[in-house]
Amino acid sequence: MLLLNILNYMAGAVKIRISGLIPEKFINLCIAQHIFLWGIKKDGQDLYAWLRLPDFFRIRPIVRTSETRVRVIRFFGLPFVLKKMKQRKMLVIGAVLCFATLSFLSSYIWFVDITGVKTISAEQVRAIAFEHGLKPGAAKSSVSAKALEKSIMLNIPEAAWVGVTYNGARAVIEVVERTLPKPEDKRPAHIVADKNGVVTEIIVLAGQPAVKKGDTIKKGDLLIKGFAPDSTTVPASPGAPQIITIPSQLIRANGIVRAQVWYESYGEAHMIKTWRQRTGQKRMAVALRVGGQQVWLKQLDPIPFNHYDQETIHKIMPGWRNSSFPVESTISIYHEVEILSTSLTFDEAREEAKTAALAAVQSQIPENAQILSRNIEVMKTNEADLVRIRVRIETIEDVGQLVPIQ
Amino acid sequence: MRRRKKTNLQTLASFFDIPQDIVLDLPRITMLGNKQVLVENHKGIIEYHESLVRIKLSQGELIITGADLMLGNLQVEQIMVEGVIAAIRYEA
Repeated sequence: MLLLNILNYMAGAVKIRISGLIPEKFINLCIAQHIFLWGIKKDGQDLYAWLRLPDFFRIRPIVRTSETRVRVIRFFGLPFVLKKMKQRKMLVIGAVLCFATLSFLSSYIWFVDITGVKTISAEQVRAIAFEHGLKPGAAKSSVSAKALEKSIMLNIPEAAWVGVTYNGARAVIEVVERTLPKPEDKRPAHIVADKNGVVTEIIVLAGQPAVKKGDTIKKGDLLIKGFAPDSTTVPASPGAPQIITIPSQLIRANGIVRAQVWYESYGEAHMIKTWRQRTGQKRMAVALRVGGQQVWLKQLDPIPFNHYDQETIHKIMPGWRNSSFPVESTISIYHEVEILSTSLTFDEAREEAKTAALAAVQSQIPENAQILSRNIEVMKTNEADLVRIRVRIETIEDVGQLVPIQ
Repeated sequence: MRRRKKTNLQTLASFFDIPQDIVLDLPRITMLGNKQVLVENHKGIIEYHESLVRIKLSQGELIITGADLMLGNLQVEQIMVEGVIAAIRYEA
């Protein structure tokens, strides 16, 4: 039935009204002439029927012999649409022109995007693309994507893969960078302490030790010197620091210095807590600023809440060139808030203070530190509802830090 | 005589397993509920109203009565009557 509808549309169809004494005769004659009729309906004396447009031009002799009169009531189909189009030529020309312009403009590149660049400069890639003609306003057919990909690969050794694709009027240059191993730092350096503590272990792989086990060190103290061991220097007896006369050769110190380090932090918690909570009720005030004048479109007077948070939104029209519109609207939203309070038991408050104190100290301790002890102490305060906690943590950790020798 | 000829043809048709409507020039009527009647092998329309359709057959006529009757699809071989069908009757 769908196929029939399509055929009827292509050929065009008309609905006719057949009036006369015996419209049935007209129908029978049509059948005999192989004229296809459908949707035949009788309304009073008149008969309505659909037939195809080519058949409509053949019914004249039938109308005459059946002594009926025929009138077109409705019509639909492609022939009628085409006829209408002929009358409205400019509309058709406009539509064709629109599609032609669209397809013409989309055969040019209007944007060049470069994605995936981290260390390579996008400008460098853009410059190579420009040389190959890939620039805004260039025709797509004039740019060879393959040649451009190769050229970028050759000119930028850091690029591992380059892909040039067109996405409508947008050319996308996708660059995947090679990850090159970082050059090893071989400059001479000392190892110095980055924390205060007591040395528990010192292993020197390169350089000369400046401290020994049990020494108290402060931040910035020299731990391993970046000097080559002097063969003429007689190793001192353990315990006494070595005496170095002339630094013969600067090297990069290497070694592990582990020290005992103390951390201390405090945490507090009130046993009675108050906080503000929004109830969900809100009112809005809207003002319009024209030039220097402020006009209230909706004003709240007075604000119907005891406690509230104010939120202000400024809306400005997007500027054109350098001038901005002198119109600006301000929306103030007032959120009603409730002030709530709860009381904590001493244990709960202590837990909270402890969590706060631990959180404060945790960020300072390196992950690979070995924790020796953790001391948590409740301190006396003057205020009755305040709980203060002191946390002391003792760790053993690597305190060495490479500092290049100037 | 005519009667006997018919009977002979019918016997022949059933012997050779040929559809009888082709051999005997009979109408084939297909009904879909009370909504549609498809009459194949007809000889034309005698009368058509909203409540009555008279279709000429090779022998006699077929009278379809009902309401809102409409001729849906009219061709040399078939007539489709659509609407609310109340009765179908043969008349000599």
